[in-house]
Amino acid sequence: MKILVTVKRVPDPESSIKVNPEGTGIVESGLKWVVNPFDEIAIEEALRIKEAQGDVEVVVVSVGVSESQEQLRTGLAMGADRAILVKADRPDTAAVAKILVKLVEKEQPTLVILGKQAIDDDSNEVGQMLAHLLGWPQATFISKLTFAGDKASVECIREVDGGMETIAFALPAIITADLRLNEPRYASLPGIMKARKKPMEEIDAASLGVDLTPRVRIKKMAPPPARTAGRKVESVDELINALQTEAKVM
Amino acid sequence: MIDLELDEEQQLIRETVMSFAAERIRPAAREADEAGAVPEALVAAAWELGLIQGSVPEAYGGYSAQAPSAVTGSLIAEGLAEGDLSIALHLLSPRLVVDPVLVLGTEEQKQQLLPTYLGERFVPGSAAVLEPHTNFHFTKMHTTARRDAEGWVLDGDKCMVPLAASAPYIVVYATDHEGTLTAFVVASGTPGLEIGEREKTLGLHALELYSVALRGCRVPDSARLPGDASGLLRRARVAQSAMAVGVAKSSLDYAIGYAKERDAFGVKIGQKQAIAFMLADMATETDAARLLNWEAAWNLDQGNEASREVAIAHRYCADIVMTVTDNGLQVLGGHGFIRDHPSEMWLRNGRGFATFEGIASV
Repeated sequence: MKILVTVKRVPDPESSIKVNPEGTGIVESGLKWVVNPFDEIAIEEALRIKEAQGDVEVVVVSVGVSESQEQLRTGLAMGADRAILVKADRPDTAAVAKILVKLVEKEQPTLVILGKQAIDDDSNEVGQMLAHLLGWPQATFISKLTFAGDKASVECIREVDGGMETIAFALPAIITADLRLNEPRYASLPGIMKARKKPMEEIDAASLGVDLTPRVRIKKMAPPPARTAGRKVESVDELINALQTEAKVM
Repeated sequence: MIDLELDEEQQLIRETVMSFAAERIRPAAREADEAGAVPEALVAAAWELGLIQGSVPEAYGGYSAQAPSAVTGSLIAEGLAEGDLSIALHLLSPRLVVDPVLVLGTEEQKQQLLPTYLGERFVPGSAAVLEPHTNFHFTKMHTTARRDAEGWVLDGDKCMVPLAASAPYIVVYATDHEGTLTAFVVASGTPGLEIGEREKTLGLHALELYSVALRGCRVPDSARLPGDASGLLRRARVAQSAMAVGVAKSSLDYAIGYAKERDAFGVKIGQKQAIAFMLADMATETDAARLLNWEAAWNLDQGNEASREVAIAHRYCADIVMTVTDNGLQVLGGHGFIRDHPSEMWLRNGRGFATFEGIASV
């Protein structure tokens, strides 16, 4: 079996993000970049399937700038077998999904695992678009994945509003990982050293023959407004009055 | 010629070690300090990182392409020590045997000793360096190694020997008949190797440290690592200096976080110059110490003797870890004195660097 796992290069969630003066994007210089945390969970799930079933190849895939190699290398250091980097300049979600369709056609995986969303733009779209374009079953926001005895289908528990939903479907399929699916491992030192020898293929997005024209245009980016300090009230009546007339929540 | 960029592998190693230190070691540090022991589950989890295997060349069952790099060693040592010094020393203890054997050992010694430390589970290592007398210097050990027809006889007293009670081998440093500092790999249970009481110390409570006596301790010729061992101790001092930087860094970061949160007289205390200047000094000293340490480590990796660089780095790191952890506590004011905050623990742990010339280190 082959599993394709997507890996996106995103700013470290610990770092402080500044919007550039033109309001067209964020200031990228000096930022630390990491693997999208939900993608780490996706990689971990693929590695656990490999460890449980044996004959599984885990391929990590990234669509983006050349530096995304660093994040792919992390995936290889965690234990993935090989990596594919599709070089593209700021593709939107639809373009990424279309690129992934081409890779799926080429690689013929049984399962594609994505993080449920990337923590940079929080779009939460690529998995769903990919499933639609391929016409494959999908399970988004999953917190548990179980293979049927014949390994031809899987059962997933999805985290939905107000509870859990259990669904079963035949493979091949698209899965997107939620936070509680697993706890990703640390890349070990031996893993890091082995990663150097693992293959990393580079493909130019333009060579795949897909329409990369952006469908989404960012009109303006702005930081959230600074919170103003709270105000102390003297009495309950004043509080109720303030909630009714100022905050308008009562 | 000047290039301080870490390579991709080193960056990944640093990230792994720092995440593990922040997420697993730091939360366990206070309890380990109180209990006087490093939790076994944490040791097992750390073993999965392959800290030891990663520094051993492939020919001997490890994963490294080359001999252990002092720069990479510093990155690992600083990262772990930022989590907790006692736990870092415990986790890296196998290197107290692995590194000397790799650097000085014969092919036979490597084949015989290294597999012990590269198995499925953590096996503690140990080294007997320090001696309990006033004019101790690591190049002039009082412990002697006498050659006779059957091998070597070791005599002397050692202190602050880490994990001596559970380590299968202790690397004992002694002066031989020609005055050369020599390392001997002594198996536990060797007659004449007497493990004494566990030492009661100001800091490093979680790390088991013992006094050890050598009384006519007879070892075979094959226990001796050929050559001058002083180079090994220079490597150890570099790793130790890196750990001092790690301890300073933890205290600095904690103090910054506190100064940004704590209100006094209507403003955050970090906005008061008395605090801001202190934090700026601490940050400057910590970064300077790291650079000196990297320079010393880089020199060793180039094959230079680097006595001067190593001595300067060690001295400076040992000094600033005291001022930084002291100021780190001071920023917290009265809160720094109580155990609810970790600053007092870092002050106690950091105090040792300037005191011991060669305490347990990699």
